[in-house]
Amino acid sequence: MDRWFLIAATILAAIAGVRGLLILRHGNKSHWTVWWMIAALICQIGYLVIRGEMRGACPLRSIGEISVYLAWSLTLFYLLVGPMYRISLLGVFTAPVVVLFQGFALLPGRLAANPAKILNTNPWGETHSAMSVLAYGALALAAVAGVMFLVLDRQLKEHQLKGGLFRNLPPVRELLVSLERLLWIGMILLTIGLVAGLLMPHGHGAKAHLIAAVAVWAGYIALIAVKRVRGITGRRFALGAVALFVLSLGVFAFV
Amino acid sequence: MELACLGLNHKTAPVEVRERFAVGSTKLGEAALQLLETSGAAEGVVISTCNRTEFYLAAEDVREAVRRLEIGLADKVHGHDGLYYRHENAQAARHLCKVVSGLDSMLLGETEIFGQVKQAYHAAHEAGATGATLNRLFQKVFGVGKKVRTQTSIQEGSTSIGNVAVELAEKIFGHLKDSEVMVLGAGEMSRLTAKALVSRGAKSVIVANRTYEHALELAAEMNGRAVRFDDWLPVLKDVDVVISSTGAPHTVIHAKDIESIRRARKFRPLFLIDIAVPRDIEHACGEIEEVYLYDIDALEQLADEARARRSQQIAECEKIIEAELVKLL
Repeated sequence: MDRWFLIAATILAAIAGVRGLLILRHGNKSHWTVWWMIAALICQIGYLVIRGEMRGACPLRSIGEISVYLAWSLTLFYLLVGPMYRISLLGVFTAPVVVLFQGFALLPGRLAANPAKILNTNPWGETHSAMSVLAYGALALAAVAGVMFLVLDRQLKEHQLKGGLFRNLPPVRELLVSLERLLWIGMILLTIGLVAGLLMPHGHGAKAHLIAAVAVWAGYIALIAVKRVRGITGRRFALGAVALFVLSLGVFAFV
Repeated sequence: MELACLGLNHKTAPVEVRERFAVGSTKLGEAALQLLETSGAAEGVVISTCNRTEFYLAAEDVREAVRRLEIGLADKVHGHDGLYYRHENAQAARHLCKVVSGLDSMLLGETEIFGQVKQAYHAAHEAGATGATLNRLFQKVFGVGKKVRTQTSIQEGSTSIGNVAVELAEKIFGHLKDSEVMVLGAGEMSRLTAKALVSRGAKSVIVANRTYEHALELAAEMNGRAVRFDDWLPVLKDVDVVISSTGAPHTVIHAKDIESIRRARKFRPLFLIDIAVPRDIEHACGEIEEVYLYDIDALEQLADEARARRSQQIAECEKIIEAELVKLL
């Protein structure tokens, strides 16, 4: 049953992305993207509830479960941030990333049909997993905003201003402000997750995961600090957010 | 009841004639009543803008009503022939649809005309000069105008250099209320472009000109402040948009100038508009990451493309109008 919810969520996110892109090609923006994504979020929650009951804990024990949780977090932040900052097209850019993460989870062998029940849960461990992956949702959305900035920046630099994409992308300054705010939100959540990770009991092989997590955290801190203190061009800031997010996914290799 | 339109516009009449027909916006109701009296029509609306004056009539015998109206207007056309266009029934309704949609405007697709026609109709309606025929026609036509604007791209894109600059500034900075503008050179082009930015809410304007008095004059007009021409570089660290239009025969803003203030600006986006010929801004400035440089050719090309895109939309607009006319008639 959990798998069906996940398949439905993936199809809904795919519809949001494809439909949004097709409408964009005709020079308009889809007002339905947000509704498709809300429907996808409901299905994701359905998956998480069932999977959580099967596990008897937060379903974050395999790479497949982490991918789905990350996709849920990304969708959640999109729905919170998109309408709040009125960022047009964020949904069209977010939906493919959601499909990518969930599609990865749906690959054979990624999600066990009958996952083992977790008997000994630790509150620090649960906090670490939940907060860290939630942080990754915000950081993923920051990367999406970064990609949007890079597209718009290139169009403005090269005077290629035709088409629905240019017309519907939000202004440069708004993208950069949203990007920075999302990085702050992600960093606060990641810091909580990291502290909880330090306090939880560590098993064998946790050291590499911890080192990778601290390195990612330090990378983001450096990016935000440079932006605040010295200043950085929008292009480098956006590239930094995208590159750090892609690199940070490597942390999960040590889970 | 039959319908007719008698009118003249920028294509048929020179400005010295159009100004004789012009009716102030506060006198449109009165003009509609005058139209009924002169033509003997049962209903009438007078539309008057800087580019056109049109009389819409509903009468049992519209040809006779138009004939009487032309006699009544004879004083205003002396010395000129072929000023008027005349449309009856479906043709008149079609023409009004085109007018409301901006298809008959000097600036294709402009939106102001929609409000002007609405104002003319309301004035005539309030004066009691309209009845069932014109009420139905105008209500329907406003719906057609909205449909044309929402279902086609006839009003999209900026068709003047000033508006292209504003559109780009808004694409970079969003709301301009937090944006500061610096004008280098107090010429007419920079004045118009700065004015367009101010009209969209730009926070402040700083003017630098070789003749300081001219800078003071333009700054006063824009509610901004003037600086000596030699002092523009330190000011640059605070501004977001630079409009340069000096008469200098050489480059005024160099890449090294921008490089020198990048740190102080914290690498914030900078929009440079060069509308001078010869150009004021070194081309290499545009290669700096956070700088968006547009010269007069780039702006003109964007305006041309917008005009071309609007022209391509005409057939689409006319299709909508024809479909709606079938329902109306």
